[in-house]
Amino acid sequence: MKLCSLMKKEFHRFFHDPRLIVTMLLPGILIFLLYTFIGDISHSDQKRAFKVYLSGESAVVGVLEQQIVEAGDEVEWLPLDDEEAARAEIEEGEATAILSFTENFDLFGEGARAGIVYDSGSEDGTYFYSLASAVLIGVGMRFSIDVETVKADETVGAEFLSMLLPMLIVCFIFSACMSVTLESVAGEKERGTLATILVTSAKRRDIALGKILPLSCISMIGAASSFLGVALSMPKLMGVSLGALGGYSVWSYLLVLLLMISIVPCIVALISTVSALSRSVKEASGYVSVLMILFMVLSLVTGFLPAIGDWGYAVPVLGAVIAMQKILAGGLLVWQSFLAVGVNLLFTALLVFLMTKMLSSERIMFGK
Amino acid sequence: MEEIVRAEGLRKTFTLSKKQQRIERTGETRRIAVNGLSFSAYRGEIYGLLGPNGAGKTTTLRMLSTLIKPDGGDAFLAGHSIGKEPEKVRDVIGFMTSELKLEGFFTPDYLFDFFGAMHGVEKDVLAGRKKELFARFGIDRFAEVQVKNLSTGMLQKVSLVISIVHDPEVIIFDEPTNGLDVLTAKVVTDFLLELKTMGKSILLSTHIFSLVEKLCDRVGIIIDGKLAAEGPLGEIAGGDLEKTFFGIYRSVKGEIV
Repeated sequence: MKLCSLMKKEFHRFFHDPRLIVTMLLPGILIFLLYTFIGDISHSDQKRAFKVYLSGESAVVGVLEQQIVEAGDEVEWLPLDDEEAARAEIEEGEATAILSFTENFDLFGEGARAGIVYDSGSEDGTYFYSLASAVLIGVGMRFSIDVETVKADETVGAEFLSMLLPMLIVCFIFSACMSVTLESVAGEKERGTLATILVTSAKRRDIALGKILPLSCISMIGAASSFLGVALSMPKLMGVSLGALGGYSVWSYLLVLLLMISIVPCIVALISTVSALSRSVKEASGYVSVLMILFMVLSLVTGFLPAIGDWGYAVPVLGAVIAMQKILAGGLLVWQSFLAVGVNLLFTALLVFLMTKMLSSERIMFGK
Repeated sequence: MEEIVRAEGLRKTFTLSKKQQRIERTGETRRIAVNGLSFSAYRGEIYGLLGPNGAGKTTTLRMLSTLIKPDGGDAFLAGHSIGKEPEKVRDVIGFMTSELKLEGFFTPDYLFDFFGAMHGVEKDVLAGRKKELFARFGIDRFAEVQVKNLSTGMLQKVSLVISIVHDPEVIIFDEPTNGLDVLTAKVVTDFLLELKTMGKSILLSTHIFSLVEKLCDRVGIIIDGKLAAEGPLGEIAGGDLEKTFFGIYRSVKGEIV
């Protein structure tokens, strides 16, 4: 009952303060606007001229050409006579892609297939691939798309997402957690309002949970806003569409979501504990900034260390980051993901226990 | 008379930091704040702990309100031990000090309900108490104004009313008028007298003689963490509390300053 009241207070504080809501949602909106703007600037002056070899016929080609022309770019369609020569041209950067359709593709019958061959290392190639796959997906009928890159070991879209996205997710979650948790825990301690709650008969554990649980929910909103900001601006910024994520199964998505959710209370509990230990918001934000940089660097580094053993999944937060990287790279790591989630929950419980002890400590709560 | 507060040999020491040692030019690493303090306060009276700054008054009240733990001894508030039943003690006391603040974002109405819930007060009981206390202390007109927008006097009233949201048996008040202007100080003293007429037991600490003379039924003089004298105000003061206090102080310390 008391825990419920404590949680309601945090939600009330957040949802009745437009300033806090804006602070939470603004990063996502700004990221979207900024990244889109950067994407526009970096691409707007470049008039692209695509040279695409075409095999087979489809109305999709007309739609694609219309899209390209509307964007101010040009496209030259050439018949595919010699596939080997065309591939060589793509590899050398002289042609953009090969687009192929099976016979009677537009009827979308059994065995209807579309194929794209492009150089994933070329910006024009990646852009064309994003555009073509978006148009093909937009048709919305049942058919298969074969995607092939001339450099088979490079799948830039997926690689980019798998390496960078988990790091960005940690970064956004940390930022979202920081903005609400520092103010709520270190701020209340500094202002003396936390002490007023400590004089009541509420259990210290309830007070700790009454902070960590609602702040985790609120932080998830902020993290989701930032994540959406990146996801929606990515096509313009990097020429990588979310279509690159289309190859993942529902299980992969669910596991990534579960891993993301498990990171939030972990980081909120960590910031809450550091805040409880600090004497002011300023002091707490100093410590937390160091932690944030540490986690960001480690999250990035793990992407470049494929040799990390299974022990990596047992590291709080980072285990989830590694699992996300591996899933986005095409793996389906069920037990590893559940291990990482379990470790995160265990770590959160440990931090709740630690914070409970801190709230009971006169030296920490009332020490000068 | 029924004992409502009983302190038995309370003792508290603090570790001095290197910085504090340097400032005070002392080599001692520990400082005794309260040294075997024992006293009793009775139901329905206002008991004053009188002493100079650093005598151990605030530390004593913090121990009684269970914010800090004693190193030795125990105290009983309405029969509950501060060492063994801190949560029960917090339910029978209302603690007021300038260090405890209310979140400026919330309204008195919200905070009254919140702190009522924190003390486990039933909703219907809480609604009745809110109506009665808000009307009695003139808060009802400001019930929906954010605390940060209230005047100092009204804020003080709200803080006082919220500290007794759960109808505590004992009200503990550390330096009630410290740092307040004359008008707000009057709000506080009137509030305490009002609480006394409501039959509440009040324990306050102060170094202001006039406040003790105006409010207290009994007084305990505390010097260097020890109780130097205790008794009804009339007996202790003997007509001049200030003169009596300095006489006791001189006999304990051997000097005034």
